[in-house]
Amino acid sequence: MINVKDTLVFQGLYYITRELKDFLITLGNIGYDFTKVLFYILRLRVNLKALIEQSSRFAVDSLPITLTIVGMTSIIISMQIAPELAKQGAENYIGMLSALVMIRELASIMAGFAIISMIGSSFASELASMSVSEQIDAMRVLRVDPVEYLIVPRFLAGVIMMPVVFIVASFTGLLCAGYVSKLTADLSLLNYIDSLWRGLYVRDIMIALLKSAFFGGTIALISCSSGYSTRGGAKEVGESTTRAVVWSFLAIAIWDYIFAALFYL
Amino acid sequence: MTIKVQNLTKTFDNKKVLDNISFSVEDGETLGVAGFSGSGKSTLLKIISKLLSADSGKIETTRNSDIAMTFQYSALFDFLDVYHNIAFPLLERREFKGKYNKEELKKIVAQKLKIVGLQGIENKFPSELSGGMQKRVGFARAIVTNPKIILYDEPTAGLDPVSSTLIEDYINQLKKELNASCIVVTHQMSTITRACDKVILLYEGKIVFKGTTEEFLKGDNPYTRQFITASIEGPMEIKSTT
Repeated sequence: MINVKDTLVFQGLYYITRELKDFLITLGNIGYDFTKVLFYILRLRVNLKALIEQSSRFAVDSLPITLTIVGMTSIIISMQIAPELAKQGAENYIGMLSALVMIRELASIMAGFAIISMIGSSFASELASMSVSEQIDAMRVLRVDPVEYLIVPRFLAGVIMMPVVFIVASFTGLLCAGYVSKLTADLSLLNYIDSLWRGLYVRDIMIALLKSAFFGGTIALISCSSGYSTRGGAKEVGESTTRAVVWSFLAIAIWDYIFAALFYL
Repeated sequence: MTIKVQNLTKTFDNKKVLDNISFSVEDGETLGVAGFSGSGKSTLLKIISKLLSADSGKIETTRNSDIAMTFQYSALFDFLDVYHNIAFPLLERREFKGKYNKEELKKIVAQKLKIVGLQGIENKFPSELSGGMQKRVGFARAIVTNPKIILYDEPTAGLDPVSSTLIEDYINQLKKELNASCIVVTHQMSTITRACDKVILLYEGKIVFKGTTEEFLKGDNPYTRQFITASIEGPMEIKSTT
C-alpha cells in the first residue's frame, strides 16, 4: 500500500506550497511595513539624528566597496570594448558608450549589489538579532514603535543616499573607463571627455537618480522587514539575512526592468 | 483591583497554550505565576503587556498607567549605553519629547540606578555588564516612567543564589517605591517565597492552583506538592518537548 505522503509528487507539491506560503508571508510583511513607514514619513515623524547616522552608514561606510566594485566592473568592460572599437576606427564613440552604459545601468546596478552585500545584510542581521533577543519586544512594551525608530530612518537613508552613491560611483566608473581607454585604445583624455559629453543626457541622469532612490529604499525596506520579522535563534537570523539579500537582488532586477521598459522602450 | 484577567484563551498551531485563565491582582500585590517550561507563563505576560493578542477573554486594568515589563534576558538595547537604555522611553516616546532637559534626564536616570544599586555606570554598554547587572538595568529602564503595573519574566533565571536574592529584594523594593502591582513569572521557589503575595500554578494552559503563597507552600494540592518537591511523580506529566 503506497502512502501518498511518501510520493515524490506529494513532496514536491508540499515543498512548492510551503515556499509559496513563505513568499506570500514575506511579501505581506514588506507591504505592511512599507505602509507603516509611509504613514510616519507623511506625518513627518522622522528621527533626524537616527536619519543622519543611518545615512552616514549607507553612503560613507559602503563607499570603498561600492567604488571598488563599480571601478573594477568599468575597467573590465572597457578592457573588452575599447580595443575593439579602436580596431573598427570608432574610438570617438568610446566615451559616449561608457557614459550611456554607466549612467543608464552599470553604476546603479553595481552600486545596488554592493549596498545589498554590505548594508542590506547588515540591516537584516542587526534587526534579526534584536528581534530574537527580545529588544524589539522591549521597544514595543516601552511604547516606542520599532518601525518608527528602526525602519523609517534606514528606509529614508536608502532613498536619499543611494542617488548620492550613484553619482560618486558613476564618476568613478567613467574615470576608470577613461583610464583604460587611454591604455588600451590610446585615446587621449580630451577626446574621451569630448566623446563622453555626447553620451551624457540630462534625462538619463534624472532617470538613473530616480531609479537609485527606488533601489535604496527597496534594499532598506526588504532588509529591515526581513530582519524585523525574525523569530527563533541564530539559525533564523542567518536565514533572514540570506532572504534579505536574495529578495533585494531580485527586487532591484525587477525595478531595473520596469524602469527600462517605462523609459527606454 | 489593578489587573483582572477573565477567561483568557490563546492557541498556537492548534495547541491551547492558555485555556480559560482567570485571576486578579490587587493594588500593591505581587502575583507569582509558576509552572513548567511551556505551560504558558511567558505567553500570559506577553498578552497582558499587549505584545500578543488573546484569542478570547478580557484583561482589565483599573490604574491608568504604563504596563512595564522586564525580560528574561534583560533585552537591553546593545547599541545604547546604560544611560540611553534607561532614558529611552523619555527620549523617544512622543508624550515625553521635549518634556525633560538634559539635566533633568540625568537626574532621573541616576535616581533609577540608585534604586537598583548601580550608581555611576551610565556610560557602560550592556556587553560590559554581568548578567545580574543587566537585569537590574532592565528593572531601572522598566520603572523610569513610574509604572503602576510591572511584569517580570523569569527575573532570576540564570543567576547565582546571591544575585537572585538581590533581585527578589529589588522586586519588593520597587513594589513599595512605586506602590505597584506586579506579576512575576518564575519557576524558582525562592522568588515565590520571598517576593510573591499570592501564586497561580499553570499546567497545560490551565490554572491548577490559585491562592496565597502560604497556601501554595503548605497546602496539600497534588500539583503544588509535585512542583515544590520537584518530583517526576505526580499529576503533572513532564513531556519531552518541555
